[in-house]
Amino acid sequence: MQDLPLALIAEITHRCPLHCVYCSNPLAMASAHAELSTEEWQGVFEQAAKLGVLHLHLTGGEPLAREDAAQLVSFAHACGLYTNLITSGIGLSERRWHDLVASGLDHIQLSFQDSRETSANWIAGTRAHALKLSIAAMIRQSKVAFTVNMVVHRQNIERLDEMIALAESLQPQRLEIAHVQYYGWAWKNKQALLPTREQVAESLDKISAAQKRLMGIIRIDSVVPDYYARFPKACMGGWGRRELLVDPSGKALPCHAATVIPRLEFENVRQRSLEWIWLHSDSFQRFRGEDWMPMPCRDCDRRKLDFGGCRCQAFMITGDAAATDPVCSLAPAHGLIEQELLHANRGRTADHSSQKSEHAPLWVYRAQPG
Amino acid sequence: MELESSSQPRLAAGCRWAGEGENRTIVFPEGALRLEQTARVVLELCDGKRTFDEIVRELERAYDKSDPATIRRDAARFLERLWQKKVVEF
Repeated sequence: MQDLPLALIAEITHRCPLHCVYCSNPLAMASAHAELSTEEWQGVFEQAAKLGVLHLHLTGGEPLAREDAAQLVSFAHACGLYTNLITSGIGLSERRWHDLVASGLDHIQLSFQDSRETSANWIAGTRAHALKLSIAAMIRQSKVAFTVNMVVHRQNIERLDEMIALAESLQPQRLEIAHVQYYGWAWKNKQALLPTREQVAESLDKISAAQKRLMGIIRIDSVVPDYYARFPKACMGGWGRRELLVDPSGKALPCHAATVIPRLEFENVRQRSLEWIWLHSDSFQRFRGEDWMPMPCRDCDRRKLDFGGCRCQAFMITGDAAATDPVCSLAPAHGLIEQELLHANRGRTADHSSQKSEHAPLWVYRAQPG
Repeated sequence: MELESSSQPRLAAGCRWAGEGENRTIVFPEGALRLEQTARVVLELCDGKRTFDEIVRELERAYDKSDPATIRRDAARFLERLWQKKVVEF
């Protein structure tokens, strides 16, 4: 029997006051007028809870860009869902925070772009860092579980120790150190973001030292950069296996980046029930299980651990969504990743933050949905 | 951190029960734990009021065929492991 989903990622809007260069939102974003209404989202949450979904991750864009964020949390909470708000913090006034807490919010994840203000604002393309610090202090006053998320890449990874120290000072229960994954805007800016081998090795040492030091005080989870891994990540815990994502316009996706895959039609929650989409839609069945797998995945002992890696990444790099994820050292197309790494490791580590204005732009900033 | 006789373990911030009966699950920010029966009984006793000693006494009553020293040791190991994962505080 087909397993039912355990988590729903609700991208409730693509609008966002930040312009982070590593944003994983698609380049073609859903416009404000295409967004599901409050009632439509509530219907989705109700269906999800009935299907057995435990976690609801409210994200965007910036989920607080929607006026009804607290109303959505309150409804989801009443359905029995564990509610997690993934936010930049921008738009969180004391009053709104009070409303969210009263709505039964279980957990909040607040992201930071760097330990230093100038650089953080440079990466976010807006002056947000100082505001985030005061918002973190406000969050800490409440009993809602709190995760600080630090996004690391080539331009800030040298300051990882400083970033960990900043996170410690904000006193969260949990710290997530996430190496950028190359989707959406991050894919466009990959050259500027992909760290060197040395940077990655150093960061892993620093993370493991901090994990030991902060054991029982702050739980540190880290997302490793899969370009440097031997084996791919178990993207979404397997295609159509554990999680589903609904985008602002109601499109149901098995993975954040799935819309990049051509000739794959995605159903909309406006037309179909979540259950039908999960069980019967072509898109959710396309890469589910093992029947689609090419060699060497098909015979590989790891196929039940990583499910062949990420389908979107396979498509973006090889042009074939049914190929083994090329980050896998066993993948026929792994040479393409090796080439990228060769390029990233050529010459000395470039930290452009101090000389950004004198050169051609290092990256493009995430735009706003039309 | 060492669990002591007077420690009063409870679910950590952001962790709570979901579901009913046999399917009761601990849900926390990045995942969920479906516990086998004994583990569930131990964790259900962790209400922040009972001390570890009191929890062990209740377990001894519930599992009177097991060796009390083993019960104490297993319960302590289990709770310390969950403390490391930030699922339990004491």
